[in-house]
Amino acid sequence: MKPAPFEYVRPGTLEEALRLLAEQSGEAKLIAGGQSLVPMMNFRLARPELLIDINSLAALDYHRRDGDVLAIGALARHATLSASALVRSLCPLVTEAYRHVAHGTVRNRGTLCGNLCHADPASEMPAVMLVLGATLVLRSARGERRVAASDFFTGLYSTVVKPDEMLIEVRIPVTAVSCGHGFAEVSARKGDYAMTLVASTLDIRGGRIYAAALAYAGVSDRALRMVALESRLVSQVPSQALFNEVAEAAAHSIDVGEDQHADRAYRSDLIRTLTPRALAQAAASIAT
Amino acid sequence: MSNKLIEIAVTVNGKSLERRVPPRMLLSDFLRHELHLTGTHVGCEHGVCGACNVEVDGKTARSCLMFAVQAEGAIINTVESLGTIAKLHPLQQAFWEKHGLQCGFCTPGMLMTAKELLAANPNPTREEVTEAISGNLCRCTGYQTIVDAVMSAAEAMRNSEVTPS
Amino acid sequence: MNQRYIPDLKIPVSRRREGPRENMRWIGKSIKRVEDPRLLTGKGKFIDDVVVRNMAHVALLRSPFAHARIKSIDISKAQALPGVIIVVTGKSMAETTGPTVSFSSPPVPQYVIAVDKVRHVGEAVAAVVAEDRYIAEDALDLIEVEYEELPVVSDIEQMPFAKGDAVLHPERGDTNVAMDRTFTFGPVDADFARADIVIKRKLRWNRSGPQPLETAGAVAEYDEGTGKFTVHCNTSMYTYVGWLCAVSLGVPATQLNIVPTLAGGSFGSKLFLHRVIVLTASLARLAGRPVKYIEDRLDNMTNADAHGSDRLYEAELAMKSDGTMVSLRYQVIDDYGAYLQYGYGTHGNAFSQVVGPYRINSVEARVIAVLSNKCQQGAYRGFGSEVANFVIERMADVAAKELGIDPIEIRRRNLIRPEEFPYVIPTGNVYDIGNYQAVLAEALRMFDMEGWRAKQAEARKQGRHIGLGLVTCQERSVFSSTEFWSLNPPDQPGFALTSSPEAISLRIDPTGKAFVKLNAPFWGNSPETVVTQIVAEALTLEPSDVVVGYADTDAGFNGTGPGGSRYTVMVAGAVVAGARTLREKLFKFAAHMMECGTDDLELRSGNIGIKGVPDIQKSIAEVAIASHYFRLSFPDEPGFESGLETTAVYDHPLTTLPPADRSHLGIFYPIMGHMAHAVALEVDIGTGKVEILDYVAVHDCGTVVNPMTLAGHVRGGTAQGIGSALLEYFRYDEDGQLLTASFADYHIPTAHEVPSNIRVGHVETPSPYTEYGIKGGGEGGRMAAPPVLVQAIEDALLPFGVEIMEIPLTPNRIRQIIRQAQR
Repeated sequence: MKPAPFEYVRPGTLEEALRLLAEQSGEAKLIAGGQSLVPMMNFRLARPELLIDINSLAALDYHRRDGDVLAIGALARHATLSASALVRSLCPLVTEAYRHVAHGTVRNRGTLCGNLCHADPASEMPAVMLVLGATLVLRSARGERRVAASDFFTGLYSTVVKPDEMLIEVRIPVTAVSCGHGFAEVSARKGDYAMTLVASTLDIRGGRIYAAALAYAGVSDRALRMVALESRLVSQVPSQALFNEVAEAAAHSIDVGEDQHADRAYRSDLIRTLTPRALAQAAASIAT
Repeated sequence: MSNKLIEIAVTVNGKSLERRVPPRMLLSDFLRHELHLTGTHVGCEHGVCGACNVEVDGKTARSCLMFAVQAEGAIINTVESLGTIAKLHPLQQAFWEKHGLQCGFCTPGMLMTAKELLAANPNPTREEVTEAISGNLCRCTGYQTIVDAVMSAAEAMRNSEVTPS
Repeated sequence: MNQRYIPDLKIPVSRRREGPRENMRWIGKSIKRVEDPRLLTGKGKFIDDVVVRNMAHVALLRSPFAHARIKSIDISKAQALPGVIIVVTGKSMAETTGPTVSFSSPPVPQYVIAVDKVRHVGEAVAAVVAEDRYIAEDALDLIEVEYEELPVVSDIEQMPFAKGDAVLHPERGDTNVAMDRTFTFGPVDADFARADIVIKRKLRWNRSGPQPLETAGAVAEYDEGTGKFTVHCNTSMYTYVGWLCAVSLGVPATQLNIVPTLAGGSFGSKLFLHRVIVLTASLARLAGRPVKYIEDRLDNMTNADAHGSDRLYEAELAMKSDGTMVSLRYQVIDDYGAYLQYGYGTHGNAFSQVVGPYRINSVEARVIAVLSNKCQQGAYRGFGSEVANFVIERMADVAAKELGIDPIEIRRRNLIRPEEFPYVIPTGNVYDIGNYQAVLAEALRMFDMEGWRAKQAEARKQGRHIGLGLVTCQERSVFSSTEFWSLNPPDQPGFALTSSPEAISLRIDPTGKAFVKLNAPFWGNSPETVVTQIVAEALTLEPSDVVVGYADTDAGFNGTGPGGSRYTVMVAGAVVAGARTLREKLFKFAAHMMECGTDDLELRSGNIGIKGVPDIQKSIAEVAIASHYFRLSFPDEPGFESGLETTAVYDHPLTTLPPADRSHLGIFYPIMGHMAHAVALEVDIGTGKVEILDYVAVHDCGTVVNPMTLAGHVRGGTAQGIGSALLEYFRYDEDGQLLTASFADYHIPTAHEVPSNIRVGHVETPSPYTEYGIKGGGEGGRMAAPPVLVQAIEDALLPFGVEIMEIPLTPNRIRQIIRQAQR
């Protein structure tokens, strides 16, 4: 399975990369880790005419605290982020979710930003970004704009990223100390894309849920954040009964898809089963 | 192939070399058919099986998911760099002793993954070994003797007085 | 007390020459593998490592439709692409190349490239030969094919009724039923009449497949000067069917030499590879260049002629109320896919052990083989008898439940007893020897069923669902070739061959080293290692004095190849025969050199010496050099020809013809291993996921040559059984599209999905019929894992009262089952 022919360029600066992207937009694709793009090219499902390789832009391989935000650059690899003590201390849901992402070798080259742009509906990180309320920074030769994660994913393998834009940075608000995180996923084998996953944070103050975030992936054409369900949780005392109620509501309100591995009824089952698990984990994980 | 060849300079198994390659030539094909290093194997060409794992700048990579042109300036090590029949690497010796292979097709990728694990974690648990090799499919062994082999090699390498380079 | 029905056949006398012995030097030892050093260092030569000067590369255009007429193919644009050498359609290839080998009778013709119609998604429609594989695939994009779609029947229960345009091979008649025949072995009606209870169930075994890490491939050269083809290929049975590829190519068998390469796994999928051999050879001839074709993974999944069994059973087990099994009757629909390369061999295979290890008196089977718009079935570890195991074990469990007998106890009551061997089963096959009670006892000893039952009870109180299982199954070894045709209509058996030999060439060089050439390849079994051990044993050599290589078909066409767990047994027979021949010759020379009789001599530690006189001996090397170079030092008589070289052929040790009326099938698979697998697992009833907590596999494979490599097969086979039972499914939709056509969707177990410690136990009942008493054991693991897993999952779900008679049990399916039970 060999890819169709393409031109290749490896710019030495970000400006050059953006210029090329602008000139060739529509025909060109950026390649960073390539762990999602190259399989599609080998299957000839993707046939970019120009590959712009950004792996030389070493300055984009960073993750750091920037005020009250964890800033992650375009070339930050999954392996780096999943092993990072900084990430674990600032945004522990990311670290937790990484336990389910692919396998070591894929994580060595795969990038978080690349993964988000690929927008696989069953991938872990889009749901995590929704839950954590990340902001995605898109840069082009025309300038820069910021998009909230909740506006970023538009459908199956689709995002708001324009043909001449690069996702240059992800900015994730640092998780509050009072905030716990939970993540539950079922996949056919460990490391596979999810048949259903639930990501959640619960900010619990004074014994009540002060804020909640709840997102799903693997159930639809994109990761979904369930704002209506979150408002059911707010002000409540966390309890198994509450979580089960939210799970039931989630199973009813999400219009689940089906594929050869999981039918609608199964995905609904998983929503019912995994939601309480993720929420309970979130409640339990708050540092005391 | 696209007419325009691109010149790359790359270090493979300690040897620096220059070649002209078409952009779309996969790194796996470059290693196997340009450099005749046929130890690295191809099982799926979509990044799942791990038979094509090689070491790129110190980390394993799926060579079927990289283009040779992307290896410009990189330091690549394949299974051929691990050891020779006359002088096996402790991992190779351990796989031999513990029956960590049957058909041998997944073995080169498996060895490179194991090498990476032990460099980062010289004293892994069986669970850690299992997690590390979970991205390498083996259809023959059922994995148990592969884990045995990696654990045995880890011990041999810890006990060895000579630090393998 | 009823008279047991025993088919009217005579069991031939054993031809065994070497019995098992205590204190064998090499046989029974877990020596490190001879094959490993080159594999470990990346120096093994697999088919894609083969380079022939000036070779071109092939890519196949695969059909996107499951069933369609090919109305037209325009190859002009593809042909014009720079770098393309030739583009060939099925029609043009058929001018020089005939259909490929098939054991079915009447044959179901299959062409390497589809000619008038395509019959499954992925079937080849055209071939491109180009300078490299990249360009070849570019050319595929430029081929324009006009298809006229035809109907697809996807429901196995509807397949027998398909007519008209839904028929795949209309020249065979207006039906997709290739065979619908009932085989009756023994007094089934009478047995059912005297039963106290009849258990009746439907069972579904869905298709999975071998999917080795290495796909199939070939490199073919055509020498225009001699008209001879040389084809390198990772095929297994080139010695058996290679010459049939020559027939397809329209040349005499002398004009085709097949050269084996190492194969990266097969598990049955590489047995013939007639298609890749004929394809590359034919293209090499047409292109005027050597050609290489390596299946990519998509080719392999959709078009490798290598899917596993795909069956729907309606089975009835007649029982006495005390738990005695009396008779088994079933109807099976087997969805063979688009072609029928092995005929109904997978049902013949099932008949070899269809009653399991139990004293069932009679069997009747209606076998309905249907053709459908799927990739055809090939051979997959078990070759159809793993499904027979599934059926009988599931039926035994249902019987246990309905009669209120413990499932282990019901097995005990029916197990054939050690004193009853050799045991003839109603189908005519023989079980040579066994001690099933000992295997069961060992499994229970290793597994601690009582302890697990206690843990299970505790877990139930916590709302957790642990399940336990134990099965007792047969693992036959060493097929006889009668299996390939004995189910064909008796008046149309096709090629009713009765030979399935194995041969080696064995020679000792002037330095006393033994050189062996095998006529069967390496695919992950350990032929070099076991042969080294057996030769070392037979000639009292050191393993380092033995070297093993592989003959091509020019040099060694007498053989059958690995399959049906036959190879170790058969090559052992060839080694024993060859070693005896050379030993006789060595003794003749040595007797002359030491001035004694040949009867006075023995082999000891690489020397030939006079029995009872330790210091009168000569090394094998001394005698060898004399035999090679010093003819005139020996008498001018026959037997003193220079050199030490022989070809040894070993035929099947125990097989007989089926009678003309097919009231039984004769003896065809008698070297019978046995196994007991036990498992403890936990089902997460919320997610349907299964976690295996403990797994024990006890195998009786007779005398074991290398316990380490055998355990490797047990574990690897068990892993594949776990895959088939829980994870893997070649799933076609109602349009015949394969929904699981990549490694992302076809879920081969990773290290996480296989238990970290499969505990392997051994029991040995040496066969009276094979050299050293060896039995084959390569397939067994996969033949016991599915029924034990399903049994345990059902046990875990006992509170829901479900009954499960199918695989695979994906999490989706398990949740579906629980949900249905909750309604």
